[in-house]
Amino acid sequence: MKKLPTGIASVLLLAGSFGLLARPQSPANGSSPHSSTAKKSLDVKEGERRFQENCGRCHTPPVAISPREAKAVVQHMRVRASLSKEDAELILHFLTP
Amino acid sequence: MRLRSKRLSRWRAVLLVSLCVAARAAAQSNVPIISGAAAFVGTDNQGIPFFQPILSPVLVVPLGDRWVIESRGLIQGVYLRENGRSGPYQGRFAATLDYAQVDYLANPHLTVTVGRFLTPFDIYNERFTALWIRNLQDPPIIYTIGTRTSASSNGGMLRGVALVQPNFNLTYAAYFSVLQTTENLQAGRAAGGRLGMFVPHQGVEAGISYQRFLQNQNYNAWGTYFSWQPPPVPLDVRAEYAHSPGGQGYWLEGAMHFAGSRGSTSWIGRLQGVARVQQFFAGNTFDPQNLLPRVDVNRFDLGLNYYLPHDIRVNGSYGRQYSSLGNGNIWNVQVTYRFLFPAWPGEHK
Repeated sequence: MKKLPTGIASVLLLAGSFGLLARPQSPANGSSPHSSTAKKSLDVKEGERRFQENCGRCHTPPVAISPREAKAVVQHMRVRASLSKEDAELILHFLTP
Repeated sequence: MRLRSKRLSRWRAVLLVSLCVAARAAAQSNVPIISGAAAFVGTDNQGIPFFQPILSPVLVVPLGDRWVIESRGLIQGVYLRENGRSGPYQGRFAATLDYAQVDYLANPHLTVTVGRFLTPFDIYNERFTALWIRNLQDPPIIYTIGTRTSASSNGGMLRGVALVQPNFNLTYAAYFSVLQTTENLQAGRAAGGRLGMFVPHQGVEAGISYQRFLQNQNYNAWGTYFSWQPPPVPLDVRAEYAHSPGGQGYWLEGAMHFAGSRGSTSWIGRLQGVARVQQFFAGNTFDPQNLLPRVDVNRFDLGLNYYLPHDIRVNGSYGRQYSSLGNGNIWNVQVTYRFLFPAWPGEHK
């Protein structure tokens, strides 16, 4: 079996190390539960903006989506569209207001 | 022998029940979904008519907050005349697996993927091959650069958002793939990656891709891409350039909704016009397996997409191709239906 060239192996290793060592985002960036309705409303509005900026580049939102389905959809798109954690959480707020 | 067979059957039954119970438990808060699209395409390619019924289902099974199993298949029929332009229509169906992968969301910056996945080279393969999302039915001429053997890779991938800033995100993907020759699951032995920058407020994304093909003859393919959506205008501009020993080329596509915002439900707001130009310059080495033309090709396409209610889209396009092997017209008409439903019933809210 052939070995991977050193350059490519280095790129893979570097990418992995970068991801593993990267500092996680602050939980204040939208991941904490919001009790106030105003804050939730702001999150939904911000979520809509993030949806247009990220998802809207390729497609429109689905016609009807339940909260349970939305969570699966957002996890799927977080991988496929390389969404940041914050974007994914705000888009989930928008899809399940 | 019979005892061993009985034990195996028992183990299979236990495994099946365990999987059902685990999936059911996971579904209480996070239901698996079946999504995708079905389409019927009618084409006339330089006087040769053919029809393609296509079904492309996507299965997504989230397991908690960090694990996702996802898969997309393609069941496609092709019906064409016995003698090309004359004779009765004959058809056959084929099924392929585009991806079947397990993702682990290790942290906000890293997702580890194992299995069969779409090769991340430029943006067309990962983003615009979905039936519902592509603006024009035909893929670009340079599509096979960086994505051979089958546009899918079998192996491992690291990807994510490396850097999140208020004004831009840096994304990356790095992968390796092993040789697989099983029918409908083919993959080439290759390694590569992609690095991209996204400026959300300006709607601009640009990036570079690289692939080292490590099979038969080793060679490099590289590419670059650009997309732009000016925020106040319902306009999409996308472009790619790719280079390999088999040739190089680019495509540039613009798509615009004629009125209102993207979510407009007026009859004119549902209409989208598309235009694409592309040029391909053949390389010195010709390899029939990379599916690239052996001569230079220029092509333009014009299309109209109409988004009906209930996730149905009707579109038609006209293309003109110029090459030293002959010029020709390509017509496409397509009806597409997008669907999304939970894998099993449950509480809707």
